[in-house]
Amino acid sequence: MASETQAHPPAAGHGHDSHEHGHFGPEMWVIPEGPGLVADVNERQRTTPGIWRVVFYAGAILTILGIVGFLLKAFTAGFSDHRAWGFYVAAFAFVFTLTASAPLAACAFRFTKSHWRRPLSRIAEIFSLVSIVNILLFIPALIALPDIGVMHESGEQLVRRSIWFQELVNPSGWLLAGMIGLSFCSVAILWLAALPDMAQSRHLVTGFRASLYGRLAGGWYGTKRQWQIQKGGLAILGALYFMMVVFVQFLVVSDFAMAMIPGWKDSILPPFYTVISFQGGLASILLVAYVMRRWGGYRYLIGQAPFWAASKVLLGLTLLHTYHLFAFFITYWYGRLEVEQAILNYLMFDSYIGIFWAQLFFTFFIPFPILVSNHARREGWGAPLAAIFIVIGLMLWHIRIFAAAFAAAPAVEGGLYYLPSDAFSFPALLLPVPGATFPDLWDIFMILGGVGIVLLVFRIGMMLLPPLSLWEMKEGSMYQRVDTLIRGRYLVLAKPE
Amino acid sequence: MQEGKVLPAAQINRDLLRSILETPRWFWPVVSLLGAIVLAASITVGIMINTGLGITGLNYKVVWGFFITNFVFWIGISHAGVMLSAILRLAKAEWRRPATRAAEVLTIFSLMTAMIMPIIHTGRPWRILYWAFPYDFARGIWPNIRTPLVWDPSAILTYLTSSTLFVIIALVPDFAVLRDRTTGWPKLVYTLLAMGWEGNPRQWKLQIIAGVLLSALILPVFVSVHSIVSWDFGMAVAIKSWHSTVFAPYFVVGAVHSGVSAVVFAMILLRWAYGWQDYIRHEHIDALGRLLIVVATGWFYFLVMEIIFGIYGLEGDELAVRALQFLPGDYGVAYNVWMIVFVGITYFLPVILWLPKAWRRNLWIMSAACISVNVGMWLERYLLFVPGQANKQFQTFTWNDYLPQWPEALIVGATFAFVSMLMLLFSRVFPLVPLYDIKEGDILRTEMQVGRRTLTATFRED
Repeated sequence: MASETQAHPPAAGHGHDSHEHGHFGPEMWVIPEGPGLVADVNERQRTTPGIWRVVFYAGAILTILGIVGFLLKAFTAGFSDHRAWGFYVAAFAFVFTLTASAPLAACAFRFTKSHWRRPLSRIAEIFSLVSIVNILLFIPALIALPDIGVMHESGEQLVRRSIWFQELVNPSGWLLAGMIGLSFCSVAILWLAALPDMAQSRHLVTGFRASLYGRLAGGWYGTKRQWQIQKGGLAILGALYFMMVVFVQFLVVSDFAMAMIPGWKDSILPPFYTVISFQGGLASILLVAYVMRRWGGYRYLIGQAPFWAASKVLLGLTLLHTYHLFAFFITYWYGRLEVEQAILNYLMFDSYIGIFWAQLFFTFFIPFPILVSNHARREGWGAPLAAIFIVIGLMLWHIRIFAAAFAAAPAVEGGLYYLPSDAFSFPALLLPVPGATFPDLWDIFMILGGVGIVLLVFRIGMMLLPPLSLWEMKEGSMYQRVDTLIRGRYLVLAKPE
Repeated sequence: MQEGKVLPAAQINRDLLRSILETPRWFWPVVSLLGAIVLAASITVGIMINTGLGITGLNYKVVWGFFITNFVFWIGISHAGVMLSAILRLAKAEWRRPATRAAEVLTIFSLMTAMIMPIIHTGRPWRILYWAFPYDFARGIWPNIRTPLVWDPSAILTYLTSSTLFVIIALVPDFAVLRDRTTGWPKLVYTLLAMGWEGNPRQWKLQIIAGVLLSALILPVFVSVHSIVSWDFGMAVAIKSWHSTVFAPYFVVGAVHSGVSAVVFAMILLRWAYGWQDYIRHEHIDALGRLLIVVATGWFYFLVMEIIFGIYGLEGDELAVRALQFLPGDYGVAYNVWMIVFVGITYFLPVILWLPKAWRRNLWIMSAACISVNVGMWLERYLLFVPGQANKQFQTFTWNDYLPQWPEALIVGATFAFVSMLMLLFSRVFPLVPLYDIKEGDILRTEMQVGRRTLTATFRED
């Protein structure tokens, strides 16, 4: 059986031959060979195309706007009334949702040994750097979160439901610890995954990066034992990170959304939020990958195949998103309980009806047909296009859930917002259903700042670290070849244990 | 990853058709024994219909007991088929190949068994007609189509129809092989079933497209079936602990957990019974074990959510049910002990057994883990449904408990014999490991030299 290895990078954008090779010609799948890859990527990183400058400056300007908005909001509204901070919390949660799950994609697809993941892994991991910013963004949200208990003459009393049950003070310490642990774990994944690349690049770069790589990867020589530790470590950290992401998301959505709306008891919300987070994380990765491929000079290194394969996963997550939404809706709608009808009216059919339908269109009705279309997925633009809609839709989702949650109940004496005296006997009601809340200028600045800081930190990450997982791509080039089967030429993949 | 050797097509035919062309000595005694159990249960059903549901432990408070638990259990088992066949086919997982047929067939038989349960449970089965037809034309009393109890049979029948179609489409090439290797009336039957299959490129193309399309179309049905089953309970606001938004995905993941475990156990039995060591290999069981770790962990997460948000509401009557489920007390039935047993044998024990690679490749350990999961998943349904109905609310006259009686135990036990018997009978007339799928896997398989190692590799179409 004749065999050959792809010797040269394929010409960018060359098409597919659907008659002989399925959906793609094998050249669209093959990862360029190892020799020269490291130097090539370092060179591309040095010569910055205009798009990256735009991203950097746009990120910086939006971040400054966000800081200005935050400061003005703090001075004008203070932290005593939580209702003033709903949009800030929505912006934080949006950034957290998208960026916390992105590194997980690298771990998950590495775990499943998906060949197409290789060009996307580092993009996913660089999102870990944003997790450091998440900690900073989280602190004001914690300050704005109302306490669970209030001191009365008769003693301390529970004033709202909480997943912390009898803990009557704000569990800020635990929440912050969760967020810090998550960030630490994701940065550890980034470091461990980038270790071989930094070691190999340290002699090819100069200045700060040379010093940085020397410090971070000084002891790496690529021995067999080091590789075993690195791969084992990535697997363990990946599993740990997965559990931590799910746990911290459970805390965030329970404490900052569900507990803020009187009577809202919804066991599907944490898994729903996790699904949304996975969807948003993958969408963000695909957007960055598309920009890198289309305008960033990485066209031959990031083929169409990752988009084709990842778009199927994105389709699955999009369907899961809608499934969870429907499971929530049908249970509440069918139950006909007053408390549940009030919440449906508040979040979906009355107060926030416009944003609900807009979000549903952006997260499902528009991306679904795009992702179902083989043509759109195959050509490489389908997945990023769907991803744009999904990201916008998820921002609307966060505003609808988090901003609405913070605006649901009024502040009362002592800075506390809600006091159902008979909470143990009957569910607290959201009656009358409040109207929608709208952002002021500072809120808009803070939302834009949330987007800006992701762009800025990500761009800085791309400047500092190799933006592609070079060792994985080299590994991928070893495990592939193009071969003949009957009358067709196909990609052959080896999957070592 | 792939182990074993590429076998000649003739040997594959010979090995995998052995169950059809030869009859092992143990076959008819085992089928007879299973048949006897089913017969005993059928007689019991007759007695129950004649005497009334009073001979069971069901009472005015706990109206859904063993039968409904068993119904949900078998619906859960049926989810293995689509999980292993459709999803893994779409994901192009090579290790799926020997497991698909057994999983699909198990889907059909477990669905059939599941559907029997509510029919028996009605006590007067002929009255199920009123679900579909008016109670009395003259009075204009129509079935309530807005209840999940009506959505449920619709979804299950749709799933049964599509699963059967799925199996038949996949069987056509194997029917043709059987047609060419049999004589007399079996040949006539296989000829009819093979529908003129010659294995030409057009037929293969159509067969592959049909398989992929059905895989994609059956997925929503797969999800909807157990979601709707969950809504039989989740829509009920009167019974505390049932009205939970997470029930739908929780039930679906739980179904996959129990279904895939059941398939693994069935595969191990088939490997042993028919000597299919070259086809159902340790690598397949290993891969399924890894899949099960992920599925089990997902299921456990949903379980935790269901429990946490049951307590989160701090509503008195729901807390009473949770106390009944989790706390020791003088309730007659120690649900809390069963709860500990259930979580232990459904998650912790099997996952511990699946974690080491060597244990995943030990068929005894894998069998024990998979049986443990299924015992646990049966208990899960029981502990989810019964305490809610037997709850200790503030009005003491609404308290009651449930103690299953022998007819229920016998009928439930016989459903396992029924499914096993049907699987064995199926294996007597149709191949339980798909011949063409195994051959395709061998054709796509090749080797690659990487450094000093020779790795198994696969041709990828996309």
